[in-house]
Amino acid sequence: MQRFVRGAMLPVLIVLLWEVSSRTGLLQFESLSRPSDILAAGLGGLADGSTLLATWQTFEAALFGLLLAILVGILAGTILGLSATTERIVGPTIEAFRPIPAVAFIPLSLLLFGFGLPMEGMIVTYACVWPILLGTIHAVRGIEPRLNEVARVLELSFAARMWKIILPAALARINVGIRVAVGFALVVAVTVEIIVNPRGLGYSLILAQQSLRVDLMYAQLLWLSFVGYAINAALRNVKVSQPALLVGARP
Amino acid sequence: MSAGAARVVATPAPASAASARAALELRGVGLAFGSSADARKILDDITFDVFQGEILCLVGPSGCGKTTILRLLSGLLQPSSGEIRFEGAAIAGPSRSRAIVFQDYSNALLPWRTVAGNVALSLEARKVPPQSHGEIVSALLKKMNLQGAAGQYPSQLSGGMQQRVQIARCLAQQPKILLMDEPFGALDAMTRQALQDELLQLAAEQKMTVVFITHDLEEAIYLGDRVFVLGSNPGRIIEQIKVDLPRPRSQLETREDWRFLAHRHRLFGLLQGH
Repeated sequence: MQRFVRGAMLPVLIVLLWEVSSRTGLLQFESLSRPSDILAAGLGGLADGSTLLATWQTFEAALFGLLLAILVGILAGTILGLSATTERIVGPTIEAFRPIPAVAFIPLSLLLFGFGLPMEGMIVTYACVWPILLGTIHAVRGIEPRLNEVARVLELSFAARMWKIILPAALARINVGIRVAVGFALVVAVTVEIIVNPRGLGYSLILAQQSLRVDLMYAQLLWLSFVGYAINAALRNVKVSQPALLVGARP
Repeated sequence: MSAGAARVVATPAPASAASARAALELRGVGLAFGSSADARKILDDITFDVFQGEILCLVGPSGCGKTTILRLLSGLLQPSSGEIRFEGAAIAGPSRSRAIVFQDYSNALLPWRTVAGNVALSLEARKVPPQSHGEIVSALLKKMNLQGAAGQYPSQLSGGMQQRVQIARCLAQQPKILLMDEPFGALDAMTRQALQDELLQLAAEQKMTVVFITHDLEEAIYLGDRVFVLGSNPGRIIEQIKVDLPRPRSQLETREDWRFLAHRHRLFGLLQGH
């Protein structure tokens, strides 16, 4: 609690100074609204449901893209990690695609899918798949060779070896890749909305700016930072309960 | 067996005539790495039998190929010349009937599974119905003095306990032969002696065939029915002795027995010479 008070002191002070100086006429910029106006705009957006709808739209696209990236990344990463031959064939192509920024695919994705969820989700998937793919390849390749020998001596089937040895052994490092990808998902989704896709928080943000609702724009910005913070906090809690999620863990 | 009978094998018969059947037969086994021109010979012309129910110890200096022989016996490696037969059939690859206990127990256990879960892996591999896992696992844990540790993870256990878990997992696969690669090498003296006695008791109860690798002469003599001494570059058998010490053996009396000391004296001289 004490830490919270100490951490909150600076922002509260800034907001107070900001409010006071804009009311006394000390600060006069068109791009700066009063904190009280921002609060009112924010509450208004929450009250009429428009903010929550936009949040859901962004979240939906980020989640869809992320889940697809996890599926593709782990599947392809496991195959490439297990088979050196496949990696030699596919590796150079992957390295050629990887440096292309995800947002550069917006025009193509728009052509393919039109406006809406699928188009945004595909861009998110493209951005998120790399850390998961590379994390999985390295995780699978780095598995203790002894464990593979144990699997061979026990004559485990390929499926059993995957499920009981390889995936659980690689999970910790795959998790790191997923964590990085989660950070990308929200950023990329909002970016796509700001640039082109007429839905979600990014679109409300750019709409508020273009219609000179500066107070609403600030309110959206604050809301975005709150959403990002909440997602990160939720993920920290997932980490705590991780052993329970481990595949193949038995009492 | 016919291939074995056709060739004269310089292997003395084991202590008990009832167990004179060979579990493993090695005939002129060699292993070399690299192309034939500049091949590096690891093992050269190894020929011996491992008899049913005996404890055979292989002792030798580090780098002589002890571990390589064990990996060949398990099927994890294939020889580049010669033949290895298990119960009469050539070994094509690893099999559950030949369990291997690795020296590095911490790498060989699944860190995300509990002790019970690690032992159950063998039962899952054997497709034992899950409802009977609990009973089998707790019996094995009791045998290995691990009763209280069932719910713990390997990282929470001492080295000796972890090695016990690995042995329990090997027993759970119901092997016909136990291959042990310096299993007690990384443990302290007290723990090592305790595990040696547990192994002897286990082997006697189940009439288990054991091939035991060690660099510790006294351990080899204490455990073995026979001890083979290996020389290096390339690895080959330079001496075989039959240990005529009575069983059950005891850490105090056996090690003070004049025959124990005589064996130790002779083998020590052999190993020094190399």
